Amino acid sequence: MRQKIDKIPARLDLTQSVTGLILGLFIMGHLIFEASILVSNEMMYKVTVMFEGYYFLGQTHPAIVSLLAGFISIVFIAHAGIAMRKFPANYKQFKTMQKHISIFNHDDTSLWMVQAFTGFIMFFIGSVHLYMMIAQPEHIGPFASSNRVVHEFMGPLYVLLLLSVVSHAFIGLYRLALKWGFMEGKDYRASRKRFKILMKAFIAIYLILGSLSLAKYTYIGMTHDFSTCAKYKSKTINLEQH
Amino acid sequence: MKVIYTDVLIIGGGLAGLRVATGVKERGHDAVVLTLVPPKRSHSAAAQGGMQASLANSKMGEGDNEDVHFSDTIKGSDWGADQVVARMFTHCAPKAIRELAHWGVPWTRVKRGDREAVINAKKVTITEKDEAHGLITARDFGGTKKWRTCYTSDGTGHSMLYAMDNKAHEDKVEIHERLEALSLIHEDGRCYGAIARNLMSGELVAYVSKATTVATGGYGRIYSVSTNAIICQGMGQALALESGVATLGNMEAIQFHPTAIVPVGILTTEGCRGDGGLLLDKDGYRFMPDYEPDKKELASRDVVSRRMTEHIRKGKGVKSRYGDHLWLDITILGREHIEKNLREVKEICENFLGIDPAVDWIPVRPTQHYSMGGIRTKYTGESQTLKGLYSCGEAACWDLHGFNRLGGNSVSETVVSGMLVAEYISDFLESSDSDMSIHSKKVEFFLNKEQKKLDNLLNKENGEDAYVLRRRMEEIMMEKVGIFRNGKDLKEAVDELEELLKRSANIEVFRSKSRAANPALVNAYRTQKMLKIALTCALGAYLREESRGAHSREDFPSRDDENWLKRTITSWPDENQTLPHVSYEAVDISSMEMPPGFRGYGKDLTRHHPITKVMQDKVDKIRQTMEAEGKNRFEIQDALMPYKDKLPKKYQGTNARFGENV
Amino acid sequence: MNDKKPRILKISILRFDPHDPDDFPHMETFEIEESDGMTLFIALNEIREHHDNSLKFDFVCRAGICGSCSMLVNGKPTLACRTLTAKLGENISLAPLPLFELIGDLSIYTGKWMRYLNEHLETWIHDKEEELKFDNLEEKMEPELADEIYELDRCVECGCCVAGCGTIQMKPSFVGAVGLNKIARYHLDPRDKRTDEEYYELIGNEDGVFGCMTLLGCEDVCPKDLPLQSKIAYLRRMMIKASMN
Ligand SMILES: Cc1cc2nc3c(=O)[nH]c(=O)nc-3n(C[C@H](O)[C@H](O)[C@H](O)COP(=O)(O)OP(=O)(O)OC[C@H]3O[C@@H](n4cnc5c(N)ncnc54)[C@H](O)[C@@H]3O)c2cc1C
Ligand code: HEM
Ligand code: HEM
Ligand code: SF4
Ligand code: F3S
Ligand code: FES
Repeated sequence: MRQKIDKIPARLDLTQSVTGLILGLFIMGHLIFEASILVSNEMMYKVTVMFEGYYFLGQTHPAIVSLLAGFISIVFIAHAGIAMRKFPANYKQFKTMQKHISIFNHDDTSLWMVQAFTGFIMFFIGSVHLYMMIAQPEHIGPFASSNRVVHEFMGPLYVLLLLSVVSHAFIGLYRLALKWGFMEGKDYRASRKRFKILMKAFIAIYLILGSLSLAKYTYIGMTHDFSTCAKYKSKTINLEQH
Repeated sequence: MKVIYTDVLIIGGGLAGLRVATGVKERGHDAVVLTLVPPKRSHSAAAQGGMQASLANSKMGEGDNEDVHFSDTIKGSDWGADQVVARMFTHCAPKAIRELAHWGVPWTRVKRGDREAVINAKKVTITEKDEAHGLITARDFGGTKKWRTCYTSDGTGHSMLYAMDNKAHEDKVEIHERLEALSLIHEDGRCYGAIARNLMSGELVAYVSKATTVATGGYGRIYSVSTNAIICQGMGQALALESGVATLGNMEAIQFHPTAIVPVGILTTEGCRGDGGLLLDKDGYRFMPDYEPDKKELASRDVVSRRMTEHIRKGKGVKSRYGDHLWLDITILGREHIEKNLREVKEICENFLGIDPAVDWIPVRPTQHYSMGGIRTKYTGESQTLKGLYSCGEAACWDLHGFNRLGGNSVSETVVSGMLVAEYISDFLESSDSDMSIHSKKVEFFLNKEQKKLDNLLNKENGEDAYVLRRRMEEIMMEKVGIFRNGKDLKEAVDELEELLKRSANIEVFRSKSRAANPALVNAYRTQKMLKIALTCALGAYLREESRGAHSREDFPSRDDENWLKRTITSWPDENQTLPHVSYEAVDISSMEMPPGFRGYGKDLTRHHPITKVMQDKVDKIRQTMEAEGKNRFEIQDALMPYKDKLPKKYQGTNARFGENV
Repeated sequence: MNDKKPRILKISILRFDPHDPDDFPHMETFEIEESDGMTLFIALNEIREHHDNSLKFDFVCRAGICGSCSMLVNGKPTLACRTLTAKLGENISLAPLPLFELIGDLSIYTGKWMRYLNEHLETWIHDKEEELKFDNLEEKMEPELADEIYELDRCVECGCCVAGCGTIQMKPSFVGAVGLNKIARYHLDPRDKRTDEEYYELIGNEDGVFGCMTLLGCEDVCPKDLPLQSKIAYLRRMMIKASMN
């Protein structure tokens, strides 16, 4: 009898994609929820308490956010860990790839380099951000968040993180679709073109959305008077903790 | 001295060479294949149109069998072919194609039901039988009674060669790439291998073998415009010629293909016309029906090429800075058909002409295409004069094609001759005949001789430029040994070529003095050899005072069976002579199953041999009486010209054929 | 065609003769006059014939059929013989494909690489049945399937996809699109009796389909327009399926 096949490579590849997909979808939601601040402080607040379980349990439990952040962290670490296999293993490989890209000048190859690079960045900033969300889930809200952005100096990091995650995620999702032949249709070349347009559109939309939100957080952070309280007082929802 | 020993040395990794290799390997013998390029890049890959085999699966192939294929081939050859060989070939072609199917060639298949086709410029509906669905289909090719040319879209040679090479991988055939055979090692009329040069390192290697096979393809590149790959330079024929012992046959028999694009000479397949494409002149007028009311565009290649040339001479050609040309119109086939079945053609038009053949006409003119001549062998593929030397494929003249080859018969020949020759070689190896007795001194002698030649070329000063000689040779061949030939031009060609040959002894490799990879050095020694090949061709053509098949003499327009039903045999017994030695070998009418007749093109100008009539009557009588006795076609054939006993046992079986015995 | 003065092409070639101990890789520029319908095949031969007869390059069919003449034309891997100079600017840069063993100048040893690949992936029909009876009718095959197989069989082993793949540049043990395409071709072929597990053994790893990072350089440079992207995706799904059993 022939020996059993080694299933690990298949599993790793699949896991990389599944985690990437989860993270991608997550970030799509995340940034939209984050953008609720653009509507109003109240809206952002509602979203926050929603995640804390208010609408389901009648109470807020920031631990839920911790849990969610924990889960995402695991996915994040799993994804990063697996995807790191693909990084250039040493300087020589990196150099080879760079040279290849500079001579060849090919879109999708360059995009991969962007992905690897942004992934590398997120490795650090993403971890910091996630850690904060696990450790201080209660410090989320129109004012608390703005405070973090401005007075805890997270703003610059968020800019970087935003740029990274948006490009990484949508390039990733584009690659994901082609990699597995998702919605190839009859003419896979045409559908690749469509996916690419879609990818670019999403990157643009999400970058704009994210920047506007960040700007709003910054604005609030700069104008709001945090000396009294960093907590937001809702007009409709009255909770002790906040 | 580097020496490599093997049972069979095969020079050439095209279809023919690889088929020999796998064949002898399966019989348990060692084989080494030498090739200039990776086998998959051999010229066989360029065959687009198809492979003839009388499968009779498709509607338009119904009624086809070995007999029809045989008769087409003999007619096509203008009775120059060896009829026993043609019988062996037509009998084995179906086996070869089925074998290839088994090895992975994705032959295009019959699809049940109605399908549109263009025949004679009209759309017709062909209905394929249910039972034939999924069997190998065929298309129409020039000079055939039935649709017999099997194909894979328009990459037939490519997929055949790939399947063959992959099979060679499976059989662990040893393949030495970029090794060029320069000369044969031989002693006392027995061949013992070859001296080869590694084109990357420049190293000379002696390959010593019991049997040596030359399957190096054709020699089209002695012409300035040819459809052939640029490595088709006749090095195999030169190898044999320079041995002084082996002989070449019918070197003057050169085929011109009607439809190569202008100016570069890249072929658009005969499938274009087979599928319904038309030839048009400068007025957009379809002229072929005027010349050949019966077969029109699908007359035999040599005929179409000549008609086109005639028409151009009448001033009907389209003027261009590269000379006059005609149009090939495949727009009527429709885009879908072109994109599926003639895609290679489409790519060629787009990449080399910048046109879309679904909309535009393609500029074409007749161009050198195939070499019927080659190393003269017996039906076993063994040289008639140098024992242990074998040859097959386009390189050889075992004489299947006579003076004109039918389209699709060539790739078919490569695999059929390959599989047969592999058996004959194996038999040889298994007999005591193959015992070797050659002293290593002798091997060394041949190696040193080649080394000295190379040194000479590199050390020469104030010599000739090989490129100049070669370009001149190409021009001479094109202008004076072309489609239409005449005594005056041919004489001039022979004289000037002889002059060039003399000058070529003085070739100097300018500037580039490397002993390793060195294209200038390669060009230098190849030019010397090519000149000899060109001379065998030109001289043979000059001497042959008749028109037969592709050899068309304006001063001798008729086929002359009385004086010229014979093969031209050339050899080069003395290194120092400047012209080949020419002799003739009779083609025996009295042993023919199909005595010479009229090929059916134009007016019958044939000067028949007196014995022809006698033989024809005899054949007719035997046929009549046996038919009356209810004998089947196999029995009748066997009575007329037995050949089966010549085939290896394993290939003697009767072919199953849909509609006949299935 | 017109009386416009022909362009003077400046063709820069990356030259190096590994057999010459004193040589080192350097660019050399040749100026030639462009002619109508000129391809790089014509241009390079002109350079060889009139400027430098030691220039090494590989052409065989000169018709875009055999796959011998792949090189980097302005950085992009392609078949030189069917590249019309008219489609390029006046300055043309030519370099040998990377990764393959260099024979000299533009000439590379693709044959060796491809041979190894074919042996490694066993790119032939695996049929354990006894000998073929070639006297009998051939096995039937659906016409569409035959066409589909041919579609993948059209690869000419030119190596463009290898030169255009970043993954393989970094990790030369990767089989590349050419290798994956071949497996897809045999996987499709009912005559090949290998099981999915057997295919998995060949390409179910980081040197195989799971090594591909979907860079799609292969897809974009393949001169035969093979559906590489789609077929690699197909194989990936197949191999995942095989791993689920
Ligand atoms: C454009 C074109 C289209 C064609 N289409 C068809 C068609 O549709 N149907 C058909 O039946 N026929 C066709 N033919 C003809 C057919 O392709 C060839 O006759 C046939 O493939 C020759 O095969 P071969 O194996 O004899 O030689 P080739 O395939 O030419 O192989 C020759 C081999 O010899 C090697 N070699 C040469 N010299 C040396 C040396 N000195 N040392 C070592 N190795 C050497 C080469 O490297 C090569 O591997 C076509 C030909 C052309 C030009
Ligand atoms: C469950 C886990 C997560 C939670 C609860 C969370 C929550 C938040 C919150 C509340 C903010 C607003 C700013 C702040 O309060 O500091 C924010 C901003 C941001 N988060 Fe997260 N986040 C999570 C995971 C991630 C991950 C995994 C990424 C990407 C790697 C990410 C990227 C960002 C970015 C880029 C911003 C800036 C937003 C903007 O530009 O509008 N977050 N996140
Ligand atoms: C430390 C953080 C991260 C690192 C190091 C990282 C790295 C990578 C790398 C190198 C790839 C390419 C893999 C390949 O080519 O096969 C990749 C793919 C991908 N990443 Fe990330 N990534 C990180 C975080 C994220 C995040 C936060 C998201 C989503 C928001 C994400 C989404 C994706 C997606 C969708 C893919 C495509 C999956 C695939 O090709 O299988 N990644 N990642
Ligand atoms: S897949 Fe395309 S690019 Fe790659 S070797 Fe084959 S033909 Fe060339
Ligand atoms: S370029 Fe390389 S990474 Fe995959 S998609 Fe093509 S093989
Ligand atoms: S020379 Fe054959 S593809 Fe270019």
